[in-house]
Amino acid sequence: MKKNSLRRICSKSGNNSQRKHQKNIWRSEINDIVRGGCGGFLFGIPLLYTMEVWWIGSSATPAMMLIALVLTFIVVYLLMRTEGFRKPKRFNRPYQGVTETVEAMGIGLVCSAFILLLLRELSPGVSLKEALGKTIYESVPFSLGVALANHLLGENGTNSPDNRTSRQDDSIDNNPTFSDLSATLIGAIVIGFNIAPTDEIATLAAAVSEPWLLAIIATSVLISYAIVFQAGFSAQDKRRKHKGIFQKPFSETMICYLISLVAAAIMLWFFQKLTWNDPWTIWLEHSIILGLPTTIGGAAGRLAI
Amino acid sequence: MNHQPQEDKQQQKRTVAEWVTFSIASFILIGVVGLVSFTWIKQPSQKPPLLVVTNNQPLRKINGQYYIPFEVINKGGKTAASVQVIAELRINGKVEETGEQQIEFLSRKEKETGAFIFSQNPEEGELILRVASYKLP
Repeated sequence: MKKNSLRRICSKSGNNSQRKHQKNIWRSEINDIVRGGCGGFLFGIPLLYTMEVWWIGSSATPAMMLIALVLTFIVVYLLMRTEGFRKPKRFNRPYQGVTETVEAMGIGLVCSAFILLLLRELSPGVSLKEALGKTIYESVPFSLGVALANHLLGENGTNSPDNRTSRQDDSIDNNPTFSDLSATLIGAIVIGFNIAPTDEIATLAAAVSEPWLLAIIATSVLISYAIVFQAGFSAQDKRRKHKGIFQKPFSETMICYLISLVAAAIMLWFFQKLTWNDPWTIWLEHSIILGLPTTIGGAAGRLAI
Repeated sequence: MNHQPQEDKQQQKRTVAEWVTFSIASFILIGVVGLVSFTWIKQPSQKPPLLVVTNNQPLRKINGQYYIPFEVINKGGKTAASVQVIAELRINGKVEETGEQQIEFLSRKEKETGAFIFSQNPEEGELILRVASYKLP
């Protein structure tokens, strides 16, 4: 759709440089949205794996939902004035804060609805009011994450801890493959430790069937790729130049997904949510479901190195 | 120096792409607010929960146990929490076996299914399925 309209605009103008400019506009716009979405996932995913939030959403009255939306709007607006998800920041336009807040909330609502759908918390059996409540309450942390996207993973490396560690890396001359793998593991553990000991994994596993597990795998890989290679967070250019065994974007994403899965399985075993007596299908299902947050954490971890 | 103000001016104009994003985002937001308002106006939420439990599926016999599927639906307005479903099997007027199940949340029009497991054939006696209690969340 977008490509077609782009083509139409281009053919009308028939100007080569303008075409290039137009292409850049769409590219940077999509990058901005992806960056916002990634920030949302980083911030919002732990709350998506919290049953209580689903219940609060289910039993919320429409008045409370509207209040939640208004409060989110205010907080996101205030955050937008300092950070935001767009690059370069554009403070100088009229109503810029308002439009970006609307966009952040739009991204938050879509992302949270998508993950709720993926985890089968939204399904045809759920009533409209309940679905709205769940989506709205889960979208709050997502929208905050979108508003904090630039902040979460540093921008231009100014105040991020990235620079310090990378300088250390250079002096020690660490093996880049090893540092990547350990960064993935650390990120996966930081996010996964919040979720692994809770009952949500088992609850979600009960509701998810095989095709949905495949969809969860695909989503995990896609979000991980987007965070590391697409969203234009601080260390992206450095990452593309990074040399190591798995440093092609595709192979790196795959290897790191596998590491995040193993980390998820180990954490589940550590918290005795999985035992050796459980059949391997349970191990697989639970690891894939916890794998979604750990992969996101792992991707963020790699950027922070 | 002369270049700077011109660039600023150019930055002030939103690109087509940004307009598309903004219109889609506002469409989503307005849509959600509209749907919430719609449920608010339409909601019969003053009505208390009305819980109905049925067993319209055939029972199964596995390893000498009788599986009796049930379905509980909230036909009222408000969400019910901790819905307690009880099954009693009376044979010759005496309660031989009971089963109990708790359902965490049952919002309006929501349906939950499960099964009671008895060791005696329910068809030989009288099976009573009922909702014993709930609480408001």
